[in-house]
Formats: sequence, C-alpha cells, structure tokens
Amino acid sequence: MFEPLDKLLTNPIRLMVMSVLVKVDSCDFNYLKKMTNSTQGNLSIQLKRLFENNYISITKSFEKNYPKTSCRITKTGATAFASHFKALQSYKNLDL
Amino acid sequence: MSALFGLKNKLVYVCLNLKPFIMNPSDQLQLINDAINKTKEQLKPTSVNFIFWGILITLMSITHLLLPEFIQRSRYSSVLFWTVIPVIGMIVTFVYNIKMGVKKGYETHLGRALKITWGVFNIAWIALVVMSIFKRQNPVEDILFLLGIVLLISAFIIRFKPLVIGGALVLICSILLSIKPELNPLLLNAIAAFSGLFIPGLSLYLKK
Repeated sequence: MFEPLDKLLTNPIRLMVMSVLVKVDSCDFNYLKKMTNSTQGNLSIQLKRLFENNYISITKSFEKNYPKTSCRITKTGATAFASHFKALQSYKNLDL
Repeated sequence: MSALFGLKNKLVYVCLNLKPFIMNPSDQLQLINDAINKTKEQLKPTSVNFIFWGILITLMSITHLLLPEFIQRSRYSSVLFWTVIPVIGMIVTFVYNIKMGVKKGYETHLGRALKITWGVFNIAWIALVVMSIFKRQNPVEDILFLLGIVLLISAFIIRFKPLVIGGALVLICSILLSIKPELNPLLLNAIAAFSGLFIPGLSLYLKK
C-alpha cells in the first residue's frame, strides 16, 4: 500500500531545505541558497511557505550590520519530513 | 476548434514548465541523499583546536620546566603564566571557531554537542584554577583528569580512535600524578598535551 506524499515537500527547493535542516541544528540563509541553487526571492517564498505551515522556525539577527536569517526545523517539520521520507520509500521500487 | 487547439497548447506549455518541479519518488530520495551528504560536520577546524592547544600547553610546560627561576620569580608569576596565556588561547580559539562557523553557514547536532562539551570544560578549567589558588595546591592533576574525560567524550562523539587513545593517555597521566606525587607534574603535563591533544589533532587534520 502506498502512503500519501506531503504536497508541501514535493517541491525540490522545499525538500532540499528540509533535508538540510533535518541534518543540522541551525542553518543560515546563504548556505540554503547555495545548496538549493535558487534565487533569494524564490528561496524566501519557499521558506515562508514552510514557516507558515510550522515546519521551520526562522530567526532574524544582525551580524556586522548585515541582517542574518537562521532556520531551524520544528518538531512538526521533523515529523512531516519523516512521514514523507517513509512514504517515498514505499514508492521506491515503483518505476515512474 | 482554434480555441480548443489554443487550450491544448497552453496545457502542453504548462506541463512542460511544470516538469522540472514534479519529481518522482526516486528523484526526491536522491535529492534528500545529496543534501544530507553535502551537509557534513567538518572536523578540520576541530582538529586545528587540538593542534593549537597541544602545541601551546606542551611549549608552556617545557618553558616552565626549563626556566623555573624565570616563571617563578615572584609569588604570583607562575599563576599569571598559567592563567593569562591560556585565557588568551581561549579567546583566540573562540574567535577562530566563530569565524569558521560563519564561513560554514550551518551547525550540525554533532558540532553543537562538541561546542557545549568544550564550553563546559573551559568553565570547569577556570573554576579548577581558581580553586587551586585558594587551596594553594597544584591543579595539574585535576585539570588533566578533566581534560582526559572531555577528550574521551569528544572522541566517542566524533568516533575517532586516536582521540580515544589520547584521552586515555591523559587520564593515565592524571592517575600517575595522584599515585606517584614525586613525578614532575610539568613533564607529565607536556607528555599529556602532546600525546592527548597534538598527535590526535594532527591525525584528525590529516584524515581524509
């Protein structure tokens, strides 16, 4: 039986962000931008979507007069990612 | 008919544009795998800390051992020698680690565990030095015991055998000092710092 996929995580940028955040304690915006190879605007939108769904928490601070955005995965996000990963594995042998 | 054709074209256009955003499960699993593999704890900055402290403590112990009349020329000169230089060393490593953290852009759970462990060690080290001043006793034995424990914790966290051996050697030096007080604490301190910090740090640095 195939488990349903999380629609929010089928987007490659959001999935990449969640995959990084699940591995780390905290991560800054520039690293996520480098990892996802996306534009600042696009990444901001995707982060906002994840934040609105309580998948991540966002902390804004200043470092040497420059704004710094740090992201962390929340418990909801970690649970959703684990469920999504489990669902993906159930599709693994299916040739799509 | 032409409207229907136009609608079909629009649908094809939308599907073609959406194609990169629709990932099949195996692609998603591959993406997760790549992201996790790229975001690894970098142990080279950690090894630089071990090398730095290994060299610093070894050199300080040898200097004190070879030039006791210079280091102990006044009542508090040796206390100053063993507090001011390590505190400067702490500031240097603190700034270095912050810079490396900013450069890296993320902090792994492992990195955070190491940061907390060594942060607590620094506080305990300062407390031991202050307590030894009040008690008027040599803190080398207690500091080595604490260092050995923290090295072993770090070694098991990062799963690095040379550091396990190094931590065990530091603990042995501490035990030797407590059962054989006639041994030279400065010599044992130099041996412990060299074998417990410098050698494991260097092997961690050279590890691929």
